[in-house]
Amino acid sequence: MDIKDKILKIVPEVTFTEQGDTVAVVPLASFRKLAEALRHDPEDAMDFMRDIVGMDWGETLGALYYLESTTSNRRITLRTETDNRENPVIPSVCDLWATAQIKEREAHDFFGIIFTGNPDLRRLFLREDWVGYPFRKDYDMKSNPLNMTNEEDDDVAPTYELGSKGELICGKNVVFAPEEFVINMGPQHPSTHGALRMRISLDGETVKRVDPVCGYIHRGIEKMNESLTYPQTLALTDRLDYLSAHQSRHALCMCIEKAAGIEISERAKYIRTIMDELQRIDSHLLYFSCLVLDMGGFTPFFYGFREREMVLDIFEETTGGRLIQNYNMIGGVQADLHPDFQKKVKAFIKHMRGIVHEYHEIFTGNVIVTSRMKGVGVLSREDVISYGATGGTGRASGWSNDVRKHHPYGVYDKVEFKEILRTEGDSFARYMVRMDEIMESLHIIEQLIDNIPEGEYRVKTKPIIRVPEGIYSQSVETSRGEFDVILESHGDKSPYRLHYRSACLPLVHTLDKACRGWKIADLIVIGASIDLVIPDIDR
Amino acid sequence: MNNSFLDYYSLQPVTSWIHDALCSVMPEALAIFLECVVIGVVLVALYAVLAIILIYMERKVCAAFQCRIGPNRVGGKGGLMQVPADVLKILTKEIIRLKNSDHLLYDLAPYLVILASILTFSCLPWNKGAQVLDMNIGILFVLAASSIGVVGILLAGWASNNKYTMIGAVRSGAMIISYELSMGIIVLAMVVLSETTSLSGIVEGQANGWNIFKGHIAAILAFVVFLIAGNAEANRGPFDLAEAEQELLAGYHTEYSGLHFGFFYLAEYLNLFITAGFASTLFLGGWMPLHVAGLDAFNNVMDYIPGFVWFFGKTFFVVWLLMWIKWTFVRLRIDQVLTFEWKYLMPTSLLLLVLMVVLKVSGLVF
Amino acid sequence: MSKFSNYINGYFSGLKTLLIGMRTSIRVYFRKNVTEQYPENRHTTLHIPERHRGTLVMPHDENNQHRCVACGLCQMACPNGTIKVTSEMVEGEDGKKRKVLVNYEYDLGSCMFCELCVNACPHDAIRFSNDFENAVFQREKLLQKLNHEGSSVVKK
Repeated sequence: MDIKDKILKIVPEVTFTEQGDTVAVVPLASFRKLAEALRHDPEDAMDFMRDIVGMDWGETLGALYYLESTTSNRRITLRTETDNRENPVIPSVCDLWATAQIKEREAHDFFGIIFTGNPDLRRLFLREDWVGYPFRKDYDMKSNPLNMTNEEDDDVAPTYELGSKGELICGKNVVFAPEEFVINMGPQHPSTHGALRMRISLDGETVKRVDPVCGYIHRGIEKMNESLTYPQTLALTDRLDYLSAHQSRHALCMCIEKAAGIEISERAKYIRTIMDELQRIDSHLLYFSCLVLDMGGFTPFFYGFREREMVLDIFEETTGGRLIQNYNMIGGVQADLHPDFQKKVKAFIKHMRGIVHEYHEIFTGNVIVTSRMKGVGVLSREDVISYGATGGTGRASGWSNDVRKHHPYGVYDKVEFKEILRTEGDSFARYMVRMDEIMESLHIIEQLIDNIPEGEYRVKTKPIIRVPEGIYSQSVETSRGEFDVILESHGDKSPYRLHYRSACLPLVHTLDKACRGWKIADLIVIGASIDLVIPDIDR
Repeated sequence: MNNSFLDYYSLQPVTSWIHDALCSVMPEALAIFLECVVIGVVLVALYAVLAIILIYMERKVCAAFQCRIGPNRVGGKGGLMQVPADVLKILTKEIIRLKNSDHLLYDLAPYLVILASILTFSCLPWNKGAQVLDMNIGILFVLAASSIGVVGILLAGWASNNKYTMIGAVRSGAMIISYELSMGIIVLAMVVLSETTSLSGIVEGQANGWNIFKGHIAAILAFVVFLIAGNAEANRGPFDLAEAEQELLAGYHTEYSGLHFGFFYLAEYLNLFITAGFASTLFLGGWMPLHVAGLDAFNNVMDYIPGFVWFFGKTFFVVWLLMWIKWTFVRLRIDQVLTFEWKYLMPTSLLLLVLMVVLKVSGLVF
Repeated sequence: MSKFSNYINGYFSGLKTLLIGMRTSIRVYFRKNVTEQYPENRHTTLHIPERHRGTLVMPHDENNQHRCVACGLCQMACPNGTIKVTSEMVEGEDGKKRKVLVNYEYDLGSCMFCELCVNACPHDAIRFSNDFENAVFQREKLLQKLNHEGSSVVKK
């Protein structure tokens, strides 16, 4: 049955907008009913919530809900809104999808939307004492001068319910009780991979609860996008997940190209795909290094860097950048491949295949490593789907979620590759998925590298790019999971709202689930095996 | 066995000549006091110099394991002056006292750690006739003195008033106490083999062959167990979880700065040296040259090499072995460290003790 | 009994993996180092690719002439406000008034090397050079004037 008919059968008042993506506009009153029905649909349950995008449509505040079924991979977008800007209330869906809990916190933080029923509606990225909601269009940019004092950590989380007369009742949920032994880890800590801060309640060495405190490198990129032209927004995607710079930028380029109707050349598609895979290898090598380092092994750390250096050199020859490459452009890529590119990539593939056994000998097979990682921090398949933990973390728990397979882009439909799946769901499985993906990426590049078609690497675009009105989205598989670009255009030269689905935000959300009952040392390993990049969380 | 050259290099005549000379100009008590002061100064100086050498060695060795070069700027091409420069930097740093720490214990802790380290250090037999503390229960004294260090570590963790240091200290305490068992049992096994607890006696007993050859299979295994337990005693990787950087920042010494931190750092490196030194004393013959039965010419050549060269050569070889281990493996978790000790290492060392006794009694050792 | 044999098996297979690890690390120990010695290798092995974006430059030819017509497109393209073009109207020999570049100000400190300015330039007047040693001690020195003293626009 068509998904539209199904929705109309549940709630007949739903209307559909077809500008860009198909969006089901759901009246607020029946939103909860529809969400429950879609989630628990016996034949094709929409069990994966990709994202919740808070929105300010001027008159109304609301949110877009991106849902996907893990069985049929069908997707649908729901839109619901409220015209009460004073107390915008939307029922929470965090009991249906665990990931909604943190996504609703984000929307609450930026738009002030109150999700009734969410047990923890603290601010997510901004300070507790922040005034106003910055993503609202009527936000006064001068309302928060630079604050020179630290805020107090709030150990009590507000939660809201609707009373019998429709009034808001604010309840309190205790995050950490005063008698708990809470240690603070980060934002300056050697193994938080950037500026993540976690508060951890301990019982001896055993972790009782992890509470990630995000936002230490929140730069408001989504807000900045609203005042930048489309080509200018590109420059910021490289700064989200710096180990998926190519891939995130690829997503934004594809989204804008799709929306503006720009057809790119086959050559550019090949180049983009090869670069994406090289980036994945680069990221996974760094993942290996960091995981090893977090476990206290310094020597294998350098092995990973040794090979990663070769990838970076290849990048630099062609793109001019090592970490921040600025390579994908609207209409193609910035420059043609360097003449040495193919030769060097082939040499790298040969070298990598010949040396990867060292990684496995010194680290993977080691009895200390296996005893520290096997069976530690298990996430079940239901957990990862509910938490929306995509990428290698999800695949290690047996969830086939590879965007490259299910929603192919670039030239992924032309190459043959395996989706690495494991079922254990522990740290070791998460690690092995990455290591196998390195080999699989080499395999993909091998198929493409000799067959790059001739043609222009970049099609001419208009100097000022305007995108027709509508809501567009594009997802790619970055090194860490599914990255989505969600673009709402009102026909201007800059976006009305440009939202990124961070691959890492759901991952950091799973930390609490994965770490409870394990030791501090395991927390570090689980955090490293889940593979977090903090600028991607904070945006 | 021709031991003339060993006697030739012996420091015994020199020390007795100094003692006689001093006694002829002053009362004996004063002479002994003066000698003690001089020896103390020499020990501390040697301690510091060895620490510098060890740190430099560690940095170069770990660099080689990691496809790097290591220090190579300060002081010429080899970076020889890098560590002295670091020492100078540490000496000029401010010692910060935390407001809410227990000041007395906080200041006491580094001295306890360094005291334990120097006490054990002074028991090392350097050369024939050059052993500062030589008593008939020598090896037991070493075991006892080295345990003082853990008190310092616990105090440091407690007095710093910091949750990270506390966790690090408790980890360290649990670990050191456990591994001391294996260490003690292995030492007992070697005492069985050498029939003495005096360190000089143990070395003298190896004149006709090192213990590792005399005790063959049992001694080789005991050597390995001793290295593992010693590594854990010295808080070094893969047992460095008391100061696991990725988990606890710097563990028990997170809150220390300047020279106080320097003491912990110094003690850590010297404990490595001390572990290696006792390993070479107990198993590799201390300052005894390598002798192969039947090759008299070879043995004579070996005798030309002074004892302290043998001692340092063996000790630094063991240090290098320990570094190889440290720079290969990842860190264990606290419960695994304890499981490893109680489930694997302890039974192994007990078995080795029994095996050694059986071998000794049945005369199967050389 | 099987539990005990598991224990023994685990003991020795674990030991074996440790030894394999040590074998690998000792192999690397005797291998050639991979690090490069910067700055000693500045004139020998150091290789900075042509396309590396180190700093923005405005190429001048031998007559001290550049190609910038002061249109300001680069300034508009820049997301950070890194470029400031100052121009004045000057009457040419043919009596027509023409925009002439006075000061091309570039702030290296806020540049994020996105290359949008170079893409926007219709006359190829600016480009990125691979000169990467741009560290200075004062922040003000990062403010650079890209057009040389007394330079003029190239005549077509």
